[in-house]
Amino acid sequence: MLLHARDLTVRYGQRTALSGFALQLEPGEVRALIGPNGSGKSTALQALAGLVGAAAGRVEIEGRSVFAMGRRELARHLAFLPQQPVAPDEMTVGQLVRQGRFAHVGLFKSYGPDDEATIAWALDSTGLARFAERPLNALSGGERQRAWISAALAQEARILFLDEPTTFLDIGYQVELLDLVYRLSRERGVAVVMAIHDLNQAMSVADRISVMEGGRCVFDGEPGALASSGLIERVFRVQGRFVDLAPDAPPHFDVDLLRRHSPVGLTAQSLSH
Amino acid sequence: MTPLAPPLVAHPPARRLVPLLVGLTLLAPLVAVFFGVADLPLGDVAAVLTGGGSAEARSIILDIRLPRIVTGMLAGMQLATAGFLLQTITRNPLADPSLIGVSQGATLSVTLFLMIAVYSHDPTPTTLVALPWSWLPAVGMLGGLVAGGLIYLMTLRHDLGPLRLTLCGVAMGALLQALALGIVAGWGSSRMEVLLEWLSGSLYARRWEHAVFLAPFTVAGLAVLPLLRRPLELLRFESTVARSFGSAYRRDFSAVLFVSCALAASAVGAVGPIVFVGLIVPHLARKLARGHFPLVLPLTVALGAITVTVCDLLGRLLGGADEIPIGVVTALCGVPVLIALLRRTP
Ligand SMILES: Nc1ncnc2c1ncn2[C@@H]1O[C@H](COP(=O)(O)OP(=O)(O)O)[C@@H](O)[C@H]1O
Ligand SMILES: [Mg+2]
Repeated sequence: MLLHARDLTVRYGQRTALSGFALQLEPGEVRALIGPNGSGKSTALQALAGLVGAAAGRVEIEGRSVFAMGRRELARHLAFLPQQPVAPDEMTVGQLVRQGRFAHVGLFKSYGPDDEATIAWALDSTGLARFAERPLNALSGGERQRAWISAALAQEARILFLDEPTTFLDIGYQVELLDLVYRLSRERGVAVVMAIHDLNQAMSVADRISVMEGGRCVFDGEPGALASSGLIERVFRVQGRFVDLAPDAPPHFDVDLLRRHSPVGLTAQSLSH
Repeated sequence: MTPLAPPLVAHPPARRLVPLLVGLTLLAPLVAVFFGVADLPLGDVAAVLTGGGSAEARSIILDIRLPRIVTGMLAGMQLATAGFLLQTITRNPLADPSLIGVSQGATLSVTLFLMIAVYSHDPTPTTLVALPWSWLPAVGMLGGLVAGGLIYLMTLRHDLGPLRLTLCGVAMGALLQALALGIVAGWGSSRMEVLLEWLSGSLYARRWEHAVFLAPFTVAGLAVLPLLRRPLELLRFESTVARSFGSAYRRDFSAVLFVSCALAASAVGAVGPIVFVGLIVPHLARKLARGHFPLVLPLTVALGAITVTVCDLLGRLLGGADEIPIGVVTALCGVPVLIALLRRTP
């Protein structure tokens, strides 16, 4: 097993943001982390990456405790893209992506041909090869997000954590990112954990799904099992149903929206009920 | 796999700056040697520099001008580097050595020291005694280091973040400054001008001992910079990002803070708090480096030396016999430069 976490608990002051969280990750596995806002997805990812102190629990990568590893060694095993990272002013896309190689080059070693090739590959994978010289603050939100994804890719870690990587992307780049995740997992054996809001994207790309609610993991299993659990409607407080679109594809969640039942002439008064 | 992207380190316009700056760093002190309050014919200066010259010219050049220039250059490099390091790790473009209380700590300790020295040596403030001048650099440095250390400990109790550091530094700095001012106000001795001169940042009467005092700090400080190069690049990010890239954030943050504190405190001890050098020079360097971060630090070091040398020369030439302290010159020149830089910042 590549990564194994048990009983992870994180507290911010009095408030418990994560309790008893567990996760197992095999090489090449894609895991989606879903749940409402504030349910603890980011906290779980940060705790797994050793970025917030855990009040209890363990995280091991191939049997070795993450908390006992140096940051640089850990960075060679695990790349983490935070939810809304901020880059220094005037930094270019290329310079950002180069930082991803720090775990490999360290304090003195200069960037070799391998490093340059990896950087070029990372830029190319997100379609940013032509953007290397552009300052980050001159990019759109989606382009910037892809630059950060490239930086995480340049780390060449076998575990990749992505915290809402599709938020600022248009549907085309969302699909491209999900395809990239899929290829990384299948071709390079990278294990990916990503917090993601689009339930159907999670269902279609993930091998396993963890559902978070109030800091707890209330479901850990395959997409098909989630569909039949009835959890989604409760956790996300929505009405809807899973429909099968194709025989061997994961089912699609079709959510009920108010306006479907509401003709145009609906009065404000009847809305308030 | 795609063909290799061109190496991102290549940056021709910025690269060409390096020889220019090295040239200026050598030229500025040379010019400064030739001009001063005492009107020495250029030929005499040249003679001294080549090993000859009259005894008077030798004394003026070797005992007065050169030590002053060297002290200024060392202090300039240190203050500018300290400012750059602080601006980088606090991600605050307005950071300078006063941010971590170094200047104020040095001010307070020098004030206390002078007061004690004056009263213990000389109860009647009308007679002149030899003040223990040679102690001032060490006393100032100690005060600066203690203040920096206190602020570090205050920050450490929380999460050692840039914001904490800034808040603790500003609060502690204001307190130390107020204490020093209180003492000055209550003291009211004729010796106050000694303190005022030190406070305005001055290279007046700086001798070789000041340069010798500073040199180890300059050398050690510059020698560790290559070690800090990559950690500094990562410290420009918020801690979550830096750490996920593999940075030992707390260790590196502390190390950089310590280096900048030592550089600033020793410089302030030797020449007083020369304002604006630590603030403006890194900005100039950043403008010149045009986004090429690894170049900013060497540019900062060179520009620090040049700025102090040129400003001191200006102060000497413009003020005539009553030379203008360099701290006043840097402030007068610094404000328009700062405004010009800000105008071009989006
Ligand atoms: N740095 C923090 N300090 C205090 N509380 C926090 C912090 N980060 C998150 N929380 C709280 O922890 C809970 C989980 O947050 P988070 O993990 O960010 O949720 P999600 O990513 O699922 O939206 C929320 O209630 C949030 O308010
Ligand atoms: Mg989140």
